[in-house]
Amino acid sequence: MNAIRRIPPGLIWVAPALLVLATLSIYPLLYLIKVSLTDVHGFTIAYYARLFHDRLFGVAVGQTLLYASVALALEFLLGLALALLVDSLAHGRALIRVGILAPMLLPPVVAAVIWRLIYNPEFGVLNGMLRQLGFNTASLTWTSGRLTAMLSVILVDVWEWTPFFFLLLSAGLQAIPAEPIEAARVDGAGYWRTLMDVILPLLKPTILLALLLRSMDLLRIFDQIFILTQGGPGSATETLSLYIYRTAFRFSNFGYAAAMSFIALTITMLAARGLMRLMRLR
Amino acid sequence: LLLTGCSHGTADKTLTLAVNAGPEGSALKAAAREWGELRNTRIEVVELPYSNLFEKESLDLQSRTGAYDVIMLDDPWFPKLVADGGLTPLPREPDADFLPSCLSVCRHPFGSQTFYALPYVGNSQLFFYRRDLFEKYKLSAPDRWEKVLNAARTIGAGERIYGYVMRAAPGNPAVADFMPLLWAFGGDIFDAKGQPSVASPEAIEALRFMIELGKSAPPGYAGFNADEVSAHLLQGTAAMSINWPAWIAAMDDPSKSKVTGKIEFAPMPSARAAGVAELGAWLVAVPIASQHRDAAFDFIYWATDAGQMTQAAQRGNPPTRRSVFQSPDLVRTFRAFPAQLAALEAARPRPRTAQWNEIENAFGVGLSQANSGAISPEVAMQQANREIAAILERGK
Repeated sequence: MNAIRRIPPGLIWVAPALLVLATLSIYPLLYLIKVSLTDVHGFTIAYYARLFHDRLFGVAVGQTLLYASVALALEFLLGLALALLVDSLAHGRALIRVGILAPMLLPPVVAAVIWRLIYNPEFGVLNGMLRQLGFNTASLTWTSGRLTAMLSVILVDVWEWTPFFFLLLSAGLQAIPAEPIEAARVDGAGYWRTLMDVILPLLKPTILLALLLRSMDLLRIFDQIFILTQGGPGSATETLSLYIYRTAFRFSNFGYAAAMSFIALTITMLAARGLMRLMRLR
Repeated sequence: LLLTGCSHGTADKTLTLAVNAGPEGSALKAAAREWGELRNTRIEVVELPYSNLFEKESLDLQSRTGAYDVIMLDDPWFPKLVADGGLTPLPREPDADFLPSCLSVCRHPFGSQTFYALPYVGNSQLFFYRRDLFEKYKLSAPDRWEKVLNAARTIGAGERIYGYVMRAAPGNPAVADFMPLLWAFGGDIFDAKGQPSVASPEAIEALRFMIELGKSAPPGYAGFNADEVSAHLLQGTAAMSINWPAWIAAMDDPSKSKVTGKIEFAPMPSARAAGVAELGAWLVAVPIASQHRDAAFDFIYWATDAGQMTQAAQRGNPPTRRSVFQSPDLVRTFRAFPAQLAALEAARPRPRTAQWNEIENAFGVGLSQANSGAISPEVAMQQANREIAAILERGK
């Protein structure tokens, strides 16, 4: 009876949530770690040791970080610019918002299929338009080009997910009270000064949230690249998720895929933590 | 009892099939419905795209769920699926009418007399070329790779179209289009001792030739898959390619093709060695965890007999039986059948190893990189050789 009394009363109320968390998050994570440390003979660290010698794993990690950082920067800057622009309009804001949000409403697979058709060097609309404008498109192969493939897949991501930043930052802008902005203007601050010293600091929590959510999503990019390039040409657009998928489901090597997944999770957590620290410094 | 009596004529068991979403799977699906009516059995078909079919089947066979009673599988998957112990040996040997090349990929171990599958679709690569342009430029039939290169340059210069088009996207596409060149130049993936040999002078020369041929191909071919290659042929913007029989019908279909009746189909060109196509047969097999094994075997023997295979051929599937290939009615309807039979008889399977998917991926990345100009043929092949050796070592 005393033992029951010692249980903090709040624990009973959060127990169902803790149970769900343990079942859906903690157990799969522990299972992942177990699979990554076990082979047919028992305990092993061979899968983690292999990571150091696997050239393609290094390429995939590097390219995932490149993809995520470039796409994140472009999406944030464009999303912010669009949010500020639309917020400053006197009329038609609702209609423009719907138009800007449209790409985000498409399933990523559908968006990738559309862009695969657009990028086709011979029959695609992009090179067709450029040819109409008088450009020589003979060497513009977009997703098939060694130097253009990564840029092409990043552009698709920017096209689809800039609206995400736009949506969150627009909501953040609307939540900013008018008084500080008016006070700054009365004090003679110009638009740039007001933006840097008043609007952005007040928008900081929203920016942090948007960057966090999007960076976690970008680090596990899979569907668009799977449809657009399958990681090619060569390994020019190979990313970690794609490599993990292939290792698990094409090569049936679940132990090594689990080890890579654990590293991917660690990278995502470190990136998220770094981002939070960076925002706290300002 | 009354209810049981009333249910006379309704199926009391269900046969579940996993099939490829495509023409090959459609024919098997239609056959299964017909068989289901004959045997009073309910048929459930799980249709999956090629890229997902292997993973679903592999997971099902490894965990012995018994989700499928019959599976359709591409022949390079067979060594992996059978090595995992997930397939049931056939109760009786297939008859002698099946083509030996198609039967060879149903045996485990390779070359033994134990069969675990029946060949359903007789796929092997063919060489597609524009007969009208060959006649226009007085070029002889492309039966050697030097002639192919020469014709690609001549047609490319004279017609302002691409002389050749190929797949060089990483993985299966690049490897599939390279294998006929590798074999024709006297190379192979493994030597007689089973060691990787893709860094051999013959293999490097074959890759150099592929890249030379690539100069007559559309820019960006290092990212091409079957869709892009066939689109170029259908639109008349390329004159030659290696392709698969599934595209033959589209070439002569006016709603899809601008080159109807102009494409000729031939066996693979030769070089130092005779021309050899890559085999890509579709097989049907019964998982060991199937709850209806007798019915499943009854179905796969029925679906692959000569009568049913003739019907499947009429639905567009290349057969695996000699008698069906030589049927005068079918030869009249399908003009490519003689070339298909010749290619299929000489076709070689991909190496029979359970690690083929991983080897093909490593090899294909190197080939694609070399074709995109990222690395030289020598570096690509040495890198691939090292990686294939490491994969084999891990598999021991």
